[in-house]
Amino acid sequence: MDGIKQIFGKELARIFRDKKMIFSTFILPVVLMVGLMTLVGNLAQGMMKDLEDHEPVVYMMDAPASFTSFLEMSEITYKEKVITDEAQLKKAKAEIKSGKADLIVEFPVDFEKAVADYQVGDNLPQVKTYYNPSEEYSGVAYDQISNQALEGYRQALLADRVGDVSTLTVFTVNSDNDEAIIQDEEKASGKAAGMMLPYFITLLLFAGAMSIGTDMVAGEKERGTMASLLVSPLKRSSIALGKVFALMVISGISALIYVVTMVFFMPNFTGAAGGDMGSAIKLSLSPGQIGMLVALMITLSFLYASLIVFVSVFAKSVKEASSYVMPAYILILVLGMMTMFTTKAPGMESFMIPVYNNTLAIQGVLSSTITMPQFLLTLGETIVIGAVFQFLIVKAFNSEKLMSA
Amino acid sequence: MIEIKDLTKIYKLNKRQMAEAKTKDPYKRAVDGLSLTAKEGEIYGLLGPNGAGKTTTLRCIATLIKPTQGEIYVNGHEVQKESEKVRDSIGFLTSDIKLDEQFDVNYMFDFFGRVHKMSKSEIENRKAVLFPYFGIDEFASKRIKELSTGMKQKAAIAVSLVHDPDIIIFDEPTNGLDIITARGVTDYLRKLRDEGKLIIMSTHIMSEAQKLCDRIGMIINGKKIAEGTLAELLAVTGAKDLEDAFFEYYKQAEEVEA
Repeated sequence: MDGIKQIFGKELARIFRDKKMIFSTFILPVVLMVGLMTLVGNLAQGMMKDLEDHEPVVYMMDAPASFTSFLEMSEITYKEKVITDEAQLKKAKAEIKSGKADLIVEFPVDFEKAVADYQVGDNLPQVKTYYNPSEEYSGVAYDQISNQALEGYRQALLADRVGDVSTLTVFTVNSDNDEAIIQDEEKASGKAAGMMLPYFITLLLFAGAMSIGTDMVAGEKERGTMASLLVSPLKRSSIALGKVFALMVISGISALIYVVTMVFFMPNFTGAAGGDMGSAIKLSLSPGQIGMLVALMITLSFLYASLIVFVSVFAKSVKEASSYVMPAYILILVLGMMTMFTTKAPGMESFMIPVYNNTLAIQGVLSSTITMPQFLLTLGETIVIGAVFQFLIVKAFNSEKLMSA
Repeated sequence: MIEIKDLTKIYKLNKRQMAEAKTKDPYKRAVDGLSLTAKEGEIYGLLGPNGAGKTTTLRCIATLIKPTQGEIYVNGHEVQKESEKVRDSIGFLTSDIKLDEQFDVNYMFDFFGRVHKMSKSEIENRKAVLFPYFGIDEFASKRIKELSTGMKQKAAIAVSLVHDPDIIIFDEPTNGLDIITARGVTDYLRKLRDEGKLIIMSTHIMSEAQKLCDRIGMIINGKKIAEGTLAELLAVTGAKDLEDAFFEYYKQAEEVEA
C-alpha cells in the first residue's frame, strides 16, 4: 500500500509541482474550449445580425398595387426593382444565381382581375418566386416574402372574397392554450443536459487521461526513468496501481473542470448562437443523483486509466503509445455519440455494453430514468473490466520483454 | 555477498535483430554459464569488450531481467524468488537508468528514500553525507533537466546510494564523466569498499579496473575466461599490465573458439 502511495504521490507531483504542466493539462484546454465556443457563438450571432440587417434586393414583375402596399404595411424592408418583360426576367434570374439579387416575385398579368373574376372551375392564378438557396440573403428573402408575406397577402384576399375568413378555418389548434406543455421541469432540463453531457463526460475523461497516461508509462520507458522504479524495492503491482490511481485523479479533475465550465458557459454559447438550448441546460441534481454521478465517473476513470496504462505498456515511446490508444479513443467517441440519438428507453442488455453503458447511465441519472439494477450493473461491470485490465497490467509490468526492452 | 551459479541468459532475436547481427540463429547467448562470487569489502570488476555480457550479468543481479538458467544469490536471497528483498539491499546504477528530469535532485533523493521506507530524518542524514561529498548541494534544488551530464551522474549515484546499500552494482560508473568527476566517483567507491561494502562494477577501461578493482573477472562472448587479483592475472600471463593480460586471455579464448 505504501508503494502505491509513493508512486501516486510522485505522479501527481509531476503535474502539480510544475506550473507549465498545470496550465497545459487543466487550464489551456478549457481556455481553448471557452475561447473557441465564444468565437463560434459570436460569429453565429454576427451572421444572424447581418442577415437581419440586410435589405434584400427583390425584383417584382407585374406586381399588383395591393401587394406592394401590403408589403409596405408589413415591417419587411427590401429594395424593390421592377421588371416588365421576359428579357429582364432572364437577366434578373442571372443576378439571383450570382448573388447580386435575392428574390424575384412574378405575378401573372392582370392578377387582381383574375382573382376578382374567379369562378369555380377556373384555373387559379399562380404567383412564381425565384431564389437561390445557396445564398443566405436569398434564403432569408424567400422566407420573409415568398413564405410569410405572400401567405398573409393570400389570407387578406381570401377575407375580401368570403367576408369572414374564419368561416373557412373550421378549427384552431392551441390558439389560446398557454398550458399545452405538461412536463416535469427537472426531468426536462435533465433530459436536455442528458443529450450532451454524458457524451462529453465520457469523452473528456478519456481525453484528459490519454496524453498523461501514455507519458506515465511509455514516456517513462522512453526516457529510461521507468527502470529506476523497477530496480527499487517497490512491487511491480504497486508501481502499476500507483500510476493508474494517479491517472484516474488527473483525468477526473480534468473532466470535472471541463464539465463545470460547460455547464456555466453553455447558456452563453448557445444563447449567442441564437439557440434555445442555453435555457434548457439548468441542472438541478439531488444528493442521490450527485452520488450516482460521482460513482460512475470514478469507476469510468478507473476503467479508462487502466485501459490507457495497459495499452501504453506495449509501446516503447509516447508516439507509439498514442497510436495504440487512438483506436480506443475513436471507439469511445462512437459509443458515446450513439447515446445522443437513442429514442427508446434502453433495456438491461444495453447496460452490458462497456463504456456505452456508462454514457447511458449518466444520461439516465440526469433524466431520473435509470433503475437501480441498471446502475449497479454498469458500476459492477466497469469495475470488473478495470480490474481485469489491472491484472493484465501487473502481468505486463512483470514481463521482461515489455519492461526491459 | 553475491553468488552467481552457472548463469545463462539467452535472448530470442527478431528478424531485424538477426539481420543486424548477420546471423540465422534466432537465439543469442548473452551470458553463457557464468559463475562468480563477490564478497563484502571488495570491488569486483567485470572486464570485457562491448557485447561481452557484462551489463546483462549486472541486470540479472539487479532483477531487471530474468536468467534463462542458473541461480543468483544476493545476501542469501535468490533474485527471482525474493526480488524485492534483493532490490532493497542493492544500489544499482547504469547509464540506461535515468532520473525523472521533471523533478529536482532533492525530490528524487527524498522519493527514493521513501521508497526504501526511510524516515524523514534518515533521508536528511544521508543527504548530509552524500550531497557535500559529490558537491550536489549547489544544484540540489535545480531540475535534473537543467543539469550538466556530470551533475546528472553525481545525482544518480547519490540517489542510488540513498538507502546506504550493502551491495553496490555500477555499470560503467565513470562513463561520460570528466576526469575530475570520474576521480571523485572512484574515490568514493574505494571509501565504500573500506567501509565493508561490496561493489561489483563493469568497465572496459583497463586503467580504471587496474587501479580500482580488488578482483577482476574477464568476460568474452558471455563466458568468464579468467578471474583473479591483478597480481594473479599478471603472474599467469606474464603481462606487464592489465591491458596486456586481457589481450593474452582474449587471444587464448579466440584460439579455443576457432
